[in-house]
Amino acid sequence: MKRLKEDAQSAGNILLEVGSLLMSSGASTHRTRLTMERIAKGLGYGIELLITQRALMLTIIEKEQEHFFSRMKRISPHGVNFRMVSGISHLSWNVLEDNWTIAQISDELKRLKSLPHYPRLVVLSLVGLAGAAFCHIFGGGYIEMTVAFVATFAGLFTRQEAHRLKFNPYLCVFFAAFVASLIAGLAEHFKIGLQPDKAVATSVLFLVPGVPLINSVTDLMDGNIQNGMVRAMNGLMIAFSIAMGLFAAKMILNF
Amino acid sequence: MILLDILSKSVWAGIAAIGFAILFNVPRRVIFPIWALGAIGGLIKFTAMYFESGIVFASFLGATVIGIISIKMAHMRKSPPLVFSIPSVIPMVPGFFAYNMMLGLIALTSIENTEAYLQTLIETVNNGAKAMFILISLGIGVALPMLIMRKESIKKSKLARAKKTVAGS
Repeated sequence: MKRLKEDAQSAGNILLEVGSLLMSSGASTHRTRLTMERIAKGLGYGIELLITQRALMLTIIEKEQEHFFSRMKRISPHGVNFRMVSGISHLSWNVLEDNWTIAQISDELKRLKSLPHYPRLVVLSLVGLAGAAFCHIFGGGYIEMTVAFVATFAGLFTRQEAHRLKFNPYLCVFFAAFVASLIAGLAEHFKIGLQPDKAVATSVLFLVPGVPLINSVTDLMDGNIQNGMVRAMNGLMIAFSIAMGLFAAKMILNF
Repeated sequence: MILLDILSKSVWAGIAAIGFAILFNVPRRVIFPIWALGAIGGLIKFTAMYFESGIVFASFLGATVIGIISIKMAHMRKSPPLVFSIPSVIPMVPGFFAYNMMLGLIALTSIENTEAYLQTLIETVNNGAKAMFILISLGIGVALPMLIMRKESIKKSKLARAKKTVAGS
């Protein structure tokens, strides 16, 4: 086992990079802490951590010398990316068991960051299909399912475009909810299908903040109360944005 | 007939899970397990609802089973459990009740007739309570197996210091 071969400073930087990637990709606080501690252990350092939703604070301690290194890093929100979470989990075990060096970790991180997302059309159609699936679960027929598919497709497209134009994230959700419920609401307005209200109800379900809410409960149960509350609040803000989008579409359609 | 209905709903729940899995950019090797997990969770939830156990408890059961299986899957497919559990639990998120609650709240701002107001208020509170408790039960259902198994996995990795890859936790 190697000890203190690497420079503590670059070890600290790579740890902060790993932590911020994990937090922004949708890992829970406990997992982030566990992974960072595991990598630090593999590199032969002890660490102390403060993890919040938007920033990480790390002190790295060299065990044999009495030096330490402290640094803070901002976490920039990216959107959920489970490929990253999965890849970093692998990486941490490699560090612990195969004694990876900092250079190897940094190369692997670079590779993970360059991994492609699914093609846009695939994402749009499968999420649209998920919207149709919701509609079926809540008892809609084939016509309603088609309406839900189209509405979800258009809504997600709007959200992606709004993200690209760098709108406020809650505003992106608002636009998406507005477009999706407007399309489904138009179908209801022109009485397409037997239960058009089901299509309206399920057209915005793809925006449901599942990851923030579930991670919030996980964090709260782990005792990371502060992060849990922040995540819950974030989830509620998203839910509120969806409601506002729906409300706006209803207003226009009832006018 | 009722069995067929439950089955088809479960299959579609799996498809909804895949949609979210793609949205969250999961690795390709876990897509099929996520479909299976979503379908199993749906099957358990709809069966429990058929036996009139109430939607909150049914969702809790489904989420717990998903949580347990996703830990096993995590060891098999070498990805953290949350990669499996979160997309497959999302089809159970009570969007419909939340939607009805929001519509109710919007309606409450403009109703003037007392009787109609009370009726809407009752429905809104009912939908809101359902939505909230289902959400909490989903979160706990997914988190609980991880919290219980975590003890075990730390112990295991301490005991078996050898080169056994425990890629789960």
